Amino acid sequence: MDSEDDMHDANDLESLDDDFYSGETGMGSDDGDGDYEFGNNASDDSDDGNLNRQQENYTVLSEDDIRQRQEEDITRISTVLSIERDHACILLRHYKWDVDKVHEAWFANEESVRQTVGLYENPVARTFSRELLCGICFERHPCDRMCAASCGHFFCYSCWRGYVSTSINDGPGCLMLRCPDPPCGAIIGQNMINLLASNEDKEKYSRYILRSYIEDNITSKWCPAPGCEYAVDFVMGSVNFDVSCNCSHNFCWNCTEEAHRPVDCTMVAKWILKNSAESENMNWILANSKPCPKCKRPIEKNQGCMHITCTPPCKFEFCWLCLGAWTDHGERTGGFYACNRYETAKQEGEYDEAERRREMAKNSLERYTHYYERWATNQSSRQKALQDLQNMQNVQLDKLSDTQSQPESQMKFITEAWLQIVECRRVLKWTYAYGYYLPENEHGKRQFFEYLQGEAESGLERLHQCAEKELQTFIDSSGPSKDFNDFRTKLAGLTSVTRNYFENLVRALETGLNDVGESGNQPTCSRSSSIKSGKGKNGKTRTIGGTTSRSLDDGNHSHWSCESCTFANTKSSMVCQVCHRRR
Amino acid sequence: MANSNLPRRIIKETQRLLSEPAPGISASPSEDNMRYFNVMVLGPTQSPYEGGVFKLELFLPEEYPMAAPKVRFLTKIYHPNIDKLGRICLDILKDKWSPALQIRTVLLSIQALLSAPNPDDPLSENIAKHWKANEVEAVETAKEWTRLYASGA
Ligand SMILES: [Zn+2]
Ligand SMILES: [Zn+2]
Ligand SMILES: [Zn+2]
Ligand SMILES: [Zn+2]
Ligand SMILES: [Zn+2]
Ligand SMILES: [Zn+2]
Ligand SMILES: [Zn+2]
Repeated sequence: MDSEDDMHDANDLESLDDDFYSGETGMGSDDGDGDYEFGNNASDDSDDGNLNRQQENYTVLSEDDIRQRQEEDITRISTVLSIERDHACILLRHYKWDVDKVHEAWFANEESVRQTVGLYENPVARTFSRELLCGICFERHPCDRMCAASCGHFFCYSCWRGYVSTSINDGPGCLMLRCPDPPCGAIIGQNMINLLASNEDKEKYSRYILRSYIEDNITSKWCPAPGCEYAVDFVMGSVNFDVSCNCSHNFCWNCTEEAHRPVDCTMVAKWILKNSAESENMNWILANSKPCPKCKRPIEKNQGCMHITCTPPCKFEFCWLCLGAWTDHGERTGGFYACNRYETAKQEGEYDEAERRREMAKNSLERYTHYYERWATNQSSRQKALQDLQNMQNVQLDKLSDTQSQPESQMKFITEAWLQIVECRRVLKWTYAYGYYLPENEHGKRQFFEYLQGEAESGLERLHQCAEKELQTFIDSSGPSKDFNDFRTKLAGLTSVTRNYFENLVRALETGLNDVGESGNQPTCSRSSSIKSGKGKNGKTRTIGGTTSRSLDDGNHSHWSCESCTFANTKSSMVCQVCHRRR
Repeated sequence: MANSNLPRRIIKETQRLLSEPAPGISASPSEDNMRYFNVMVLGPTQSPYEGGVFKLELFLPEEYPMAAPKVRFLTKIYHPNIDKLGRICLDILKDKWSPALQIRTVLLSIQALLSAPNPDDPLSENIAKHWKANEVEAVETAKEWTRLYASGA
């Protein structure tokens, strides 16, 4: 019984995985459903290189789009309710541009809606004289020099103009402007404004109406980027709040901070608050200069990846974040990539080296410093990558296609690599906020998290370095290089591998690191040789997670699963590689 | 100077205030500035302010009647909607102002406010608290202040 259920679950998860990965299990989801297959996408025109590949749950609206939608809504209401467009617009504004609500309220009780909104059908005041006293200027005017809203309270044109202009210049409250007669609630619509206001005021008023369509509507918001005029309409109820504006700003629709998937809004708010509270202590991190760990000369970081080479004659290669020798990092030594881990750094005594860090420790800021520095550095690294991406698209690709005598259409893999870097830097950055708040006593989770983060980070460093430095040699070369095609394969491979690592990381964090065992998220067998070589056109052999690990588990029993952290260890190891628990 | 191009509306309002004064209210323009009014309001009967004579100043800004007049108590008064600078919390002096309202309506509204203090929309936090916690005692204080400061000396 049990095993059957397990089988069932496994299959479900498999098909879930296929949404994210290539369906390399041959379970039939490869064809037809439009999901891309990683490894083959390097030159696929339709891919946007983004981590978010699900159906878009939002629409970016330009000013023209907004006007068009607004006009359409007004037309719908005006047609269905058989009322003037002006009145339809008033009703929509009152009901926050919710077409259904207008319908509902109107057909439930038209009279009561008219009363609340101030849209009277018959004038409450009627007059048949040829001259009337204006209640504002106290002068008598011929009736044709006067006008009234739906209530029939007449005031002279000159007083109306003053009334309307004062209100418009007072701000968006003018959209709710009512008849000047004190107890009267008759609403003033756009037709009347157009009759009475100066051109400048009419323009202002119509902007307020446009703004209200976004600001009053609960499904839409303006893009928070400075100077950006796009708005985003969101499908309410969607789980993922990250949206990407046409101005290239990515933000969280829910809290309007920059996009922060996989970390939730509450944690982001907490983290941002923490950062501003500690900002004075952290200024030195943002200064972007550190002494070379070997020759002690100050080195400025002016590149995106963390692999720093000191200026000649020293030329020491080190990691910007942990100041350790670069040769100790990642795959080359076969060890864990560990510079994301706070505990490791502490054990190795790095935090005792510098005077400043000792001070930090005193102030119990040491731990925060570790995470903040990585958060901030990834942020600036992302900024740099964005610039590089632009420079790449505007200048370098053109140059490269000249020197390598290859059409620019063949250079798409480079743009994709950079897009991936930009996105990964963003995700990685937020995982440091996550790491800071991950309770220290949750050892299993912490270890699992740091493992995934480390994998992702080291993959990203390789990718970033390849896109930044190796690419430069081809741009600078005088003529076509025979290695260029190998380079293409390598960069495209690194791009998809890194994407995979990050998808694992994001998914694990979004599920609260809870499904360590079941979902096939565990980093089983991730350390495959093909990552290092960067060979293998489609990179399919190096999938981490899901399917591969399961087939190994189920099939040849070459692994054992750690009881504590569920890491799938090789048969030969007697101690868990992740949490060091004995088999 | 300031009076040379006074809008007709202000002239008419002033004439009417002088010729048909509202009961318990007097408002007369200052000699050198026709936009500045010296106002007296009698404490309404059956209110804690009964028997008091309250001085106020009222100023018509340049934008009047599109903008509300500026009014403030000069006499000290113990009232939850009036602060110690004499500023008044009254909707028609703020967002509910309409150019079809007049000096007369404003002063009548202020008089009505003396009859019906509204501690739920306070300007003076402490007095409002007092009013809500112990209305009898607060009313006593208001009467006391009326005797002390508004006995029309
Ligand atoms: Zn009216
Ligand atoms: Zn008029
Ligand atoms: Zn934008
Ligand atoms: Zn958010
Ligand atoms: Zn050096
Ligand atoms: Zn490092
Ligand atoms: Zn373990």
